[in-house]
Amino acid sequence: MKYEVVIGLEVHVELLTECKLFCSCPNRFASEPNVNTCPVCLGFPGAMPQMSREALQQALTASVALNCEVALYSYFDRKNYFYPDMPKGYQISQYYIPLGSKGFLEIEDNHGSLKKVGIGRVHMEEDAGKLVHEAGGGTAGRSSMVDYNRAGVPLIEIVTEPDLRSSEEARRYLEKLKSIMQYAGVSDCKMEEGSLRCDANVSLRMPGDQAFGVKTELKNMNSFRAVEKSLDHEIKRQAEILDSGEKVATQTLRWNEDKQETIVMRGKLEADGYRCFADSELAPIELTAEEVEQALQKLPEMAEERAQRFVEEYGLPEYDAGVLTASRCMADYFESCLNLYNKPKEVSNWVMGAFSAHLKNAGLEADQAFFSPEDMAELLKMIDEQVISGKIAKKVLDKVFESGKKPRQVVEEEGLLQISDQSELEAIVDQVIAENPDTVESYRGGKSKALGHMVGQVMKATRGKANPQLVNELLVKKIDG
Amino acid sequence: MDHIADGLEKAIKAIKIGVSSTEQEQLHRELDQFLDWLEPMLEVDPGDLEGLLFSHDAVNVLREDSPRKSGLAELQEAAPNFAGGFYLVPKIME
Amino acid sequence: MELRKTTVYQAVEAVLEGEVTAHQVIGKTIKNCSVLNEGLNIFTSIAGIDALEQAEAIDRKIQNGEKPPLAGIPVAVKDDLCYGVLPTSLGSAAFNEFMSPVTATVVERLMDAGAVVIGKTNLDDMGQGSTTLSSPTGPTVNPWQAERAAGSAGAAAVATGICMLAVESDSGGALRQGASHCGVVGLRPTTGRISRYGLNAHCSSFARVGVTAFSSENISGILDLVSGFDERDAATAVCRGGISEIIKNPGSEDMTIGYPVTAFDHLEPDLREIFEQVRDQLGSRGYRTKEIDLGLLREGLQAYYVLALAEASSNHARFDGIRFGKGRETDSLEEMYRQSRSEILGKEARRRSIFGTFLLSKGNYDRYYRQALKIWKLVRQHFEAAFNECDLLMLPVAKNLPRPLKEESSYLDQWSDDLFCAPVSLSGMPSLCVPAGQIDQFPIGMQLVGPPFSEKTLLAVGSTSGPRDMGEGPLSQ
Repeated sequence: MKYEVVIGLEVHVELLTECKLFCSCPNRFASEPNVNTCPVCLGFPGAMPQMSREALQQALTASVALNCEVALYSYFDRKNYFYPDMPKGYQISQYYIPLGSKGFLEIEDNHGSLKKVGIGRVHMEEDAGKLVHEAGGGTAGRSSMVDYNRAGVPLIEIVTEPDLRSSEEARRYLEKLKSIMQYAGVSDCKMEEGSLRCDANVSLRMPGDQAFGVKTELKNMNSFRAVEKSLDHEIKRQAEILDSGEKVATQTLRWNEDKQETIVMRGKLEADGYRCFADSELAPIELTAEEVEQALQKLPEMAEERAQRFVEEYGLPEYDAGVLTASRCMADYFESCLNLYNKPKEVSNWVMGAFSAHLKNAGLEADQAFFSPEDMAELLKMIDEQVISGKIAKKVLDKVFESGKKPRQVVEEEGLLQISDQSELEAIVDQVIAENPDTVESYRGGKSKALGHMVGQVMKATRGKANPQLVNELLVKKIDG
Repeated sequence: MDHIADGLEKAIKAIKIGVSSTEQEQLHRELDQFLDWLEPMLEVDPGDLEGLLFSHDAVNVLREDSPRKSGLAELQEAAPNFAGGFYLVPKIME
Repeated sequence: MELRKTTVYQAVEAVLEGEVTAHQVIGKTIKNCSVLNEGLNIFTSIAGIDALEQAEAIDRKIQNGEKPPLAGIPVAVKDDLCYGVLPTSLGSAAFNEFMSPVTATVVERLMDAGAVVIGKTNLDDMGQGSTTLSSPTGPTVNPWQAERAAGSAGAAAVATGICMLAVESDSGGALRQGASHCGVVGLRPTTGRISRYGLNAHCSSFARVGVTAFSSENISGILDLVSGFDERDAATAVCRGGISEIIKNPGSEDMTIGYPVTAFDHLEPDLREIFEQVRDQLGSRGYRTKEIDLGLLREGLQAYYVLALAEASSNHARFDGIRFGKGRETDSLEEMYRQSRSEILGKEARRRSIFGTFLLSKGNYDRYYRQALKIWKLVRQHFEAAFNECDLLMLPVAKNLPRPLKEESSYLDQWSDDLFCAPVSLSGMPSLCVPAGQIDQFPIGMQLVGPPFSEKTLLAVGSTSGPRDMGEGPLSQ
């Protein structure tokens, strides 16, 4: 393509506090609408906001994790606009002085080298409620329904500079941002659940141009893939417009996942249309340079550091370390397993293999699975103790994932105990030798492969439960006499 | 339309208050008068003084992060249009 | 027991000693309220059985040996302060039946101390004004003259002897103007001294909760009970570690009262004469009086209105007809907003929200709002500088006699009435309004303004300055 792509992202991330930003309502998903509400988050007359210490701490942690300069003095403004999901008629946000600014994070660019993506600002604000438009819902379809459970949930908004040059870079930026937020412990960043939301600004220009082209804003992307796809769609659309000599119009577009296309949204207010001014019901925030430094010092280990530690401390291959630290909860899971069963490479194989395959199938994160680190440790110990074979262990893992039962219980209930009883196995070995005289002959003739075949026969006869090592020994002993 | 009438029109729209054309005409006259009334304040030269934003000197007034029970039934009783756990508004087309 | 002639201290003693029960005091007060309310329109709602039950509970506590510090004291509460037991109208016709889930901290604290809320007092449209003329239920009549407005209904409730205390909001001067027009004492406290949680403030920067009473002594009697840190109002955090009171005792200490001579030039000669007399009396009582400079009163008034209107447009945006207030069945969201909001906000509130939106919009923000923030700072600096030269300042409260009920007055004339009150609001400093004299039988009040947290000094001076007791308004019987 002859144009240069210019993308900037605005990401909203929900913080992992117990309470909402300005009241003590729980900050958590509720199955019932409007149960997590109070006079403050519903904007009742007379109710006043009370700022959360933990939300400030997490926003500070996020700011330093994104290499931002932290404002030692900041405060909250009101962004005034009407919408039914915004109870007070204004959103409390940091408009004039964001908590963090001039930060960056590093991603691989289109050519595979490291690239700094500038972060213009990181600021705190409160979330809005949710509108539900049920087909025919409300009073015979004449109403939309409002749920304020999410109103007042603490968010940070992270705005990049227009530094991204492709949809792929945008996706990589989001993946990196998610990893940093998760490792910093400030958000779970689940895009499907809305704890990470992304809007994109995109424009095209001729390479070498200093000025930016006319940009459009993209909304409603519900996954990283959707971000990438909608950007590609929009880049193509703009390129076609420019190719035909027309001008791109300033618009806000909504991504339609079903139709894989964008829809024009109605005109949005310009920032100065929000009539922002300081909210005098809250006190300003003052931080000391020491507090900022402390937040930096206390920053948890990020993915790269952890991967490196996994290599150095546990002797894992770099590949393993990379896979295991791709998400913080996977890395946490791995280390919890190690605390109970200290053989890093074995644990790594199982976590990256069967365990991850199950997570992927079920669309779960490591901390959501039925298979706890205790279960993993128990399973691996059973292999060591020759209670089950590795092959059976995979079956057990499947069962545990399905049923939520404990591994040992599954082994017992399903009769999967390994047969290590020599007399029981001798009978089967004898039978296999008797039934396969040709194979015995080829083994005697020096074809070691033939032994494997016979081991397989024994395993088949015992439905995989025979202790393979013991079978091996018995066969050799009996045939070699 | 003059600058003030235009600004007034926009303000009425933005703040979503229904006013009759008679009231709007009256508001226009009053706004003209009010802006004239403000002239002496505009003539003060505060130099490069930074304005005040807060009437109080409190900083870092922060609440601990422990949740309280919420969702009281009496909150919903105040709502003019509430059903099935939701606040109802006229259908919004997206 | 005649409330008008007793102090809070004496009244509480009488209840604690068993001379009279709380139930009797409250019962009689409620009866008085109903009778007087017909002519004066002081209350938007009057307590009933709930208040009597509260009084009985207090009597039982006393029998059990407890000594509630405000046992059985009847209190009137302005109707922009939420109280869960009576309707909270907020000065809106659409909220006349609104039961608030919130009870204001100040009301809670008074009730915890044994006081009983006997009614909610009338107020301007959404609490915006210093006359009660824009009230959706009509103005409150001045107990001194049936043709004129009371200024504030809480002051009228106290002046008529119905209540010993009224709790009221004061942003641009409603509480102080009311006290002045009704001949009673009213305290607007220092920023952060009294929690505003539960107050439907139209302008959060300058709204304060204050107290009105017959005398400075009565305010002194309850000030500590309602003061101090409340985690629900961030501004009170300045009192978190206790309050650093500035206490000076008149008589035993040298005290200089500043007389900002140019301020008094705004007054008609007969009014100015009253303040000159008070100044001379203060001199003869051993105070030093000193002429000082205090500029920017007019510009401060203007800045106040810019800031107050801007904030009101935002503070009142929550009234969208979705979660509270009377509902409107409409076809479109836009219509729902327009209809609900023009019903909830009366004409004055609509004017203020619309002007406030105009002032904050692009282009106007820098010209008006940003300038007003600077004037705010300059005014505060002027007051701070004044207190380098004196301990307290005296200032007029009202420019005029109370507004006539029948005569139409322009909104701008009414706003201009706050000339002496609004700049004090900008300063953040405490102001005590005490009776200073009379013109044509009308009480005239003055403000004693002190540095932050000098309330106790103001009250001490207030109890010794000027004519002490105006008596009841002639319409009180």
